[in-house]
Order: sequence, then structure tokens, then C-alpha cells
Amino acid sequence: MTGRIVLALAAVALLAMPWVLSTYHVLLMLPFMAYGVVLLGLNLLFGYTGLVSFGHALFIGLGAYSAAFLTGWFKVRSLEVMLATAAVVAGVIAMPVAALCVRYVKIYFGMLTLAFGMVFYTFVLKFYSVTGGDEGMPVARPFLLGRDLGAMPKIEYLAGPYYYYTLAVLVIAVLLMWRIVHSPFGLCLKTIRDNPAKAETLGISVPHYRWLAFVISAVYAGVGGALMATPTGNVDPTLAYWTHSGNIVFMTLLGGFANFFGPIVGAFVFIYLQDFVMSVVPWWRLVFGAILAVLVIAAPQGLMGLFTRRRVTEVA
Amino acid sequence: MTNVVNILMGGVFHASILFLVAAGLQVVFGVQKVFNLACGSFYALGAYFGVSAVQWYAGAGGPPALFVVPLIAAGLLIGLTGVVVERGLLSFVYERDETFQLLLTFAVVLMMEDLIRMTWGTAPVSTSGLYLVYGQARIAGAAVPVYNLVVIAASLVIALGIGWLLTRTAFGRIIRATADNREMAEALGVDMRRVYAKVFTLGTTLGTLGGALVIPATAAMSEMGVELIVEAFAVVVIGGLGSMRGALVGALIVGLLRALAISWYPALEMLIIYLIVITVLVFRPRGLFGGATA
Amino acid sequence: MILHAENVSKHYGAFQALNAVTLGVSAGEFVSIIGPNGAGKSTLINVLTGLARPSAGSVRFKERDIAGIGPVKLAKLGMARSFQLVQIFPDLTVMETLEAAVVARLGRGRRLLASLAGDRAVREDAEDVAALFGLDTKRHALARHLPQGDKKLLDVASAFALRPEIILLDEPTSGVSTADKTRIMEILVAAAKRIGLKAIIQVEHDMDIVFTYSDRIVALHQGSVLADATPQAVQADQRLVDMVVGRRRRHGA
Repeated sequence: MTGRIVLALAAVALLAMPWVLSTYHVLLMLPFMAYGVVLLGLNLLFGYTGLVSFGHALFIGLGAYSAAFLTGWFKVRSLEVMLATAAVVAGVIAMPVAALCVRYVKIYFGMLTLAFGMVFYTFVLKFYSVTGGDEGMPVARPFLLGRDLGAMPKIEYLAGPYYYYTLAVLVIAVLLMWRIVHSPFGLCLKTIRDNPAKAETLGISVPHYRWLAFVISAVYAGVGGALMATPTGNVDPTLAYWTHSGNIVFMTLLGGFANFFGPIVGAFVFIYLQDFVMSVVPWWRLVFGAILAVLVIAAPQGLMGLFTRRRVTEVA
Repeated sequence: MTNVVNILMGGVFHASILFLVAAGLQVVFGVQKVFNLACGSFYALGAYFGVSAVQWYAGAGGPPALFVVPLIAAGLLIGLTGVVVERGLLSFVYERDETFQLLLTFAVVLMMEDLIRMTWGTAPVSTSGLYLVYGQARIAGAAVPVYNLVVIAASLVIALGIGWLLTRTAFGRIIRATADNREMAEALGVDMRRVYAKVFTLGTTLGTLGGALVIPATAAMSEMGVELIVEAFAVVVIGGLGSMRGALVGALIVGLLRALAISWYPALEMLIIYLIVITVLVFRPRGLFGGATA
Repeated sequence: MILHAENVSKHYGAFQALNAVTLGVSAGEFVSIIGPNGAGKSTLINVLTGLARPSAGSVRFKERDIAGIGPVKLAKLGMARSFQLVQIFPDLTVMETLEAAVVARLGRGRRLLASLAGDRAVREDAEDVAALFGLDTKRHALARHLPQGDKKLLDVASAFALRPEIILLDEPTSGVSTADKTRIMEILVAAAKRIGLKAIIQVEHDMDIVFTYSDRIVALHQGSVLADATPQAVQADQRLVDMVVGRRRRHGA
């Protein structure tokens, strides 16, 4: 019951923020929500299926660059088309990648995903005539629901209509993932996480379900990546770098991978804490590295784990 | 002809450095089953510390020809900080899932990135042309810095040294036994805590040494740690996780391929390497010399 | 004959694990496989459950060749098994474990957007099985928190939830107290009748259990079938008793 109250309060807070908070903080919510979408997907793979990917930023990059290509080369400005394209591109690329990766577990899975992530990074970096190299590509301001809001000042656009659009996407993403996780499919994923050998004896084809989870999580990452592109107005290769993949796993762990809302909490805390730390010293990596170390050693169940009684000490 | 020799020598030089870092990765993975993402960070640490040591040495008026002495000493010395990471952090998670161990090494990567920036700033630092004090050698018509040859030779000596350590010393036996069957080794009375501390420090020292040795030929830059680890990772995948021979052969393959790619089609440089990594992981996950896979 | 292994041999390198083993199980039978450690019982079970491919000979389940088809396909064909070392899903509840089996059986695993909680067919089926195995009071307990005997029951129950035609149990009473052993066997037999199981095969060391419940005993020794007879016949053959069972009887169970 308390859970529902908290959820309701959070919803009200999110809706009210543009009216209550300073513009600076409202703008900070944008990457948080985008990462929220990404992490919802990542946790399907991590917390529910037991696979830790060190190359998931690949799909963030795919989504972001899809958006950039659409506005830059194809002059498409509809955010709906951009998001849909990002989802499809990420999903389509994920299919063969997943097919290869899900045959392996643990460290080999991590290594293979890392390699794929770096292939994309290198590709985007080196073929600069197409992708803009390390400077990246610009992303034009998208039309929301068909409306060209180019007349609005950028800050107003981002802190207003774009904020609520992103919030809506996050809500849809949450509802969808909630259904998935509480479906018969979600249950099968959990059996694979807990004991793949036994899952097989029940007739659950482990590689197939892992593949599905991987593709779904990739689609989420693609959509999140496309959402990330607009506020900065630019996409660059670092979106796909391996440390970015490491950071999103960090965020998931921070919030708690054993809890549905853990990853979103993790994204929120990460983004805000990073912003706060950077306003004091530039050494956010030092602080965050220490946080991650403490997390791994003393609190692997993350922030949500500290609030709930469920103890999970193993990933798989 | 000169071009080919230059490419080859460049490749072998790079391979020598890669071998050192990869060897550090291998010994830690082989014994402790931990993939130390921070190996690249120690490489960077060795590089920066090496620069500082040489700069101090030059400032103190030391003869340029002997600059390798403080360089190597620095590389070896700073590697000992590995024991701090091992005792202070890693030792708490040995009983845990390898995912958590990996994430902990990632935490070290993050911390060391900023620690290096805090100490040395963000601008690249180097020892400038100091290494040219050894002049250049003419090999098949190409001009190759003698320093590079020294490094290649040093690397070979170290490779032989590691081989000798593993096969001829008691410590080496313990390393091989633990890598093979940890419970058995423990049951036979091996003090795991001390072995782990020593092995990890050996691993980090190889990394810092590699960083120190490369520095005269290049500049120390803030991204060098996170960039090198991916190359080192490619080396150990191709060579086989946990295998020293694999580190040597893998380093040669990666080093030479990269040199070739840079001269033919620069855009393909690392792309080819990663594609090979993926191919290896798909068709022969244990690499060239590795043991059984998970 | 539902399950038929014919002249099955299996070697691992130079080591001959099974030697021309022929074993047939028909509907209504409870067959126990006995033998000392190293006799090849586990290998035989793995071959019978499609986990290992025989080096020679054939294994047929309902007239289908099942050599090495793997556990997933086998489960769909109607054969289930439990393991010697108890296998559970540590972070799932009893209900979730059973529901997973039912979901897999009903082929609903790909329903990404359907609500599991709202699926009455799955829930009621799982509740039935839970009741059969006496686990209904612990329905929402996490599997990792169950006592050892209940974990065993859950392992077997999840196999039963597949409503298989034939079930292979690898040492169903190992690692549990003597009191629990009988409880488990009674529950097992009652449940088998309830769900209409056609045959049970078990590997078992406890001779009391073996003689009490089996219709047929197959004795393995060094990879070969030493005897394949009713409990009475086996007990009557003193030479057999000595060779396979003897030492254990003399020193107690």
C-alpha cells in the first residue's frame, strides 16, 4: 500500500516539476527520464534474466544516431517517427547480436557485448565523412505530435512540451515493462536467471528467452538514446563507448536490480548526484567510483534493496 | 621496403607493450578468475609516473643516456600500489559473483581516471625527444629508434622471466596450481590471501611497467587507460584467457594487425581487431591457448 | 512399452560407462534402478533423458528416437525428471516455481503482455499440484527458505506440474531424514495416481524404499544390467543380493 502512495506522489511530483523547480533542474530531468527508459530495458536483461551486458550503450548509440540521421539526412522532424525508427533499428541490430551473445554467459557474455559496443563506437568514430567522427552529428529540434515548435525558445521548448513528451514516453515504457515482467514470459525469464538448467527441464528454451529479453532491452535502449539526442542537440560516438555501458550498469546496481523501480531510482540519483558533485569539484568519477565500490562490497542490492527486505546476493 | 620494416617494427613495439599489460591481465585472471578492467588504468599510472620520474631526473641533472633507469624504477615502484587495491577493495568480493568483481574493477577504473587527472592535469605530458638520445638504428634501410628495440628486447626478457617464474620457482608452481584448482591448492596449505595479493601486484606492476616503457615514444594522455584496456582485452581473448603464451601471441597479432591497418586503411584500425575478437568468441571462445570456457 | 533403451552403450574416451544396456518401461510400472556408485546409473539416466547421446544403441520414447534431443524437447514430449542434487529456483516462490512449469507446459511462455496473476488456469493448476505435494500452506514462501525435505518435494512437484507421462527421479530421497523419506515417497505415489502418470523410473540407494515401492528392479553393475526382475525375484536370488546389495545390508541402510 505504501508502494502505491509513493508511486502516486512521484507521479504528481513529476507532473508538477516544470512549474515548481528552476529551469535548470527541469532540464536535468530530461536525461534522467531518457536513462530511465534505457535502464528499464537493461534491467530486463540484468535483474530479470541474469545477464550483464557491457555493451548496451551500443543500442543507445544506435537510437541516438538514428535520430540524427533522420533529422540531418532525411529531413524527418517528427519525434514519433524518430522514436519508432530508433526502436526498430535497435531491435533489428539486436537480433543477430543477441543470437550470438546469448549462447554465452557471465564473463564471455560481458566480453562479447563489450566487443560489439566498441565495434559500433569505432565505426562511428572512423567514418567521419558520414557520421561526423568525434564531433558527432547535430540533431534538429523535432516536431512533437506533428507540431512544429521551432518558434519557441529552446529552453522553453525543452522545459515545457518536450519535458511532458519525454515523461509520457517514460510512463508508457514503465507500463509496458511492468506488463512484460509480470507476464508468463517474465516468469520464464526469472526461472532462467535462477537456474537455467532446471528451466530447461521444464521445457523452457533458455537461449530463445534470453534472445527475446535482449532484443526488448535493446529496443528500450534505442528509444532512450533517441530521447537523449534532442536536449543536447548533438550525438557523438562516446554514447557507445564501453565506459558508458559500464555507467548504465552502475546506475542499475545503484538503484537496485532486484526491484522494478530500482533502475529508475538509480538513474535519478546518478544524474542528480553527478550534477551536484560536478558543481563542487570536477572529480565526479572519483566520487562515483568510490560509491560503486561501496555498493558492490556492502550494498549490492542497491538503494531499493535497502528499503525492501528482499535480499539478492547473486546476479545469476 | 623501408615502409614495411617501419610498419613491422612499429607493430612489434606496440605488441611488446601490449604483451606486458596483457600478461598482467592474464596472471590475475588465471589465478583469481578476475578480469581486471583497471589494468589499463595502472598502465596509465605507470606512464604518468614515469614521465614525472624522468622529468625529475632530468631536472636533477642526470645523464640523459641513463634515463631508462628512473623510468623503469618508477614503473616497477608504482605498480606496488596494486596491493592497496587488492587488499583494500578486491579482497572483499572474492566469494561473490564475477559480475560484481568486474564492476568493482570498473569502480577502480573510474577512481583512477580522476586520481590521475587530479595529480597530473588533463593536458598530455611527455618526455619529449629524450628517447632519441639512443639514436636510431638502420634496419633494412629503415630508421628505427634504438629505444624501441630496447623495449622490445626488454619485453622479451620479461616474457622469458615470467616463463621462468611460472615453471621454475616455487611461487610459480603455486600460481599454476591455484589457477588449475583453487580449492585443492588451499587444501594443500597455500595461503590464498597472500598469493592473491602477490599475484595481483604482479599483474599491476606489469601494467605500470608497460606504461612507463611506452612513454618515451608517445605522450601520456588521460584516456590512455580506458583505451588500452579494450586492446588488452582483445589480446587476451584472441590468445585465450589465462594463458601467458596467449598473451604473447595475441599481442603480436593485435600489434601487427593494427600497424598494418593504420598504414593501409586507417579507418579499419581497431574495427578489424574487434571483428576478430567477435569471431574468436563465437567460433573458439577459449582463444588460441586458453583452457575450458564457462 | 513407453520408454525403450535398446543395446545402449556409452563410453567416455576409454572409459565404458554403459555396456549394451537394454531396458524397457511400460505403462503402470514403477521401476527402480539400483547399483553401486560408478555402476553407470547417472549415465543411464542422462541417456534416457536425452542429455547424453548413446555411443551405440537406441533410446525410444513413445516410438520416437530421443537420443540427445535435450531436456527442452523432452519436456514437451512428455518426460520429466528431477535431480539428485536438489534443483530449485532460489528467488522464486513455491507458486511461481509451479506456475512456471504450467506456463511452459501450456505453451504460454511467449505471452509478453498477458497478466500472469490474471491467468486462472495457470494459477489453479499450480495450486492443485501444490496441494498434492503438501506445499499449499507454503505457497508464497521463497524456495531458498524451504527446509531441505520441502525443497526436494518442490523439485519433484515442478516436474509433476508438467503432467508428464513418465518421470525419472534421480535419488528422490537422498539427503533427507528417514522420516522425510517415507513422507516423500507416499506423496509421490499419491500424486502420480492423481495426475495419471503412466510410469515412474527412479534411481535409488535406499533398499527399503526400493523394495517397498518398485514393480521392477534393474540392477546395474559396471555398466551392464545384472538383473531385471521383480523385487521378490531379486530378494530370492541371494547371489544377486550379495553382489549389489549385500554389504550395505549387513552394515545397515
